[in-house]
Amino acid sequence: MTAAFVITLVILALLDGSFAGFRASVGRTGLINHRTSDYQAARRGAGLVCVLLAPAIAEVCADLLVRPADLQHYTRAGKAMLEVYGPYALLVLIALACYAALNWRLKYLASALILGPLTLLRPAIAILGGVLGLAAGDDTAVTAAVGLSVIAVLAVEPLAGRLWYAPNAPGPAA
Amino acid sequence: MAPRPLEITDLLWSIDADGVPVAVSRAAVVGRLTALGQRRAARIVSAIPARDGILDQDYIDALGFRVHCELQRLGEELQFARRVAALLSPIVEMVRLHGAGPVRIIDVGCGLGFVLRAMAASSVLGAGVELVGVDLNPFLVAEANRLAEREGLTCRFEQGDALQPELAIHDGARCVVISSGLLHHLSEPGLAEFFAAQARLRVAAFAHWDIAPCLWSTLGAWVFHYARMREPVSRHDGVLSARRAYPAAKLQLAAQTGAPGYHIQVMEGSRWHPRALDVLRPIVGTLP
Repeated sequence: MTAAFVITLVILALLDGSFAGFRASVGRTGLINHRTSDYQAARRGAGLVCVLLAPAIAEVCADLLVRPADLQHYTRAGKAMLEVYGPYALLVLIALACYAALNWRLKYLASALILGPLTLLRPAIAILGGVLGLAAGDDTAVTAAVGLSVIAVLAVEPLAGRLWYAPNAPGPAA
Repeated sequence: MAPRPLEITDLLWSIDADGVPVAVSRAAVVGRLTALGQRRAARIVSAIPARDGILDQDYIDALGFRVHCELQRLGEELQFARRVAALLSPIVEMVRLHGAGPVRIIDVGCGLGFVLRAMAASSVLGAGVELVGVDLNPFLVAEANRLAEREGLTCRFEQGDALQPELAIHDGARCVVISSGLLHHLSEPGLAEFFAAQARLRVAAFAHWDIAPCLWSTLGAWVFHYARMREPVSRHDGVLSARRAYPAAKLQLAAQTGAPGYHIQVMEGSRWHPRALDVLRPIVGTLP
């Protein structure tokens, strides 16, 4: 069960990192065809979230080496976080599937009704999942890991923007 | 009647009669916004760099580019260029039936020319269509041309006033004038003048898209400009656009006054419920 929670959380973090990378890149160059840069941005976001999550992962590994019994705290925290992030991610994925499947005239409905509002709510959802994870974990080391994870996830988009798409000059970014 | 609130982007550039940008005083812009009670807008402008009290032109131009790129991103999400093309296709066919020669689509107030560049990229209107964008801002015109050239797109952009579209219109009968998000930037008297300028040139048709004002549009504009845009100026002006937009009846009256010989229709449904797909709706005028 613990492994399932971990794998699911990692997949969600990678997906969220990809989308965050995409959002950091899109609407910067003014070009009509930007598919290649969109994919590149998604890869960058996924890579960046891995780097940013490294301290949290290292902290969990170190803690479990010293105190293996803490695994139950992490499991409870992970379950509580998934109870928030799971439905959110499911909604996003359904909306993306609709966006891909719908006729071009109707595609925007997926954005207008689900993707746009959920993007706005994303920071609050990330924090809510973190708070519930903290409460469920009820342990100092778990608190540190959850806190670092939430900060990492929320930092991807602004950091990707600064690293690769800083608006320091007119015209398309390199 | 209370004065209409101002969008920041309407104040950051000043272009003289020769089409040359002139210096803009930061204090003057902040003063105008403050006088209208737009304190947040005044704060945003206060943070823009200035030299000797004059807004830094390079910074402003770069900001304008970023704001228009963000607008383009929203347009892409809305599939806006395809919506424009879908409405224009039968109009272009109608013009083709009435004589030989290319049909010209003129996008006034085109900014970076997203709509024309997207239509050029997809060749959606077929052969024999010229795509010409007109904007007052020389920097945006230069950037639009640069972007079109970079992607090898067959369209061009010229500097000019939306109220004087003569420079792009040589044969009105073969021209269709369009715009997107321009109408709410005009004053109420300016609206009739805008339509009259096209009627004077006897353009075959016009189609001007703008936000349909209602509670849902304002709410949607707020959600999308905060979720999708990064620039405080984009967020401020985007939400204000929805509040400043003219209702259908006002547009209809202005078009009938300015272009009396045209069949005019605002293509808008009920606003009592959210209408996400036609948040930007056109007013269309065609010569009978």
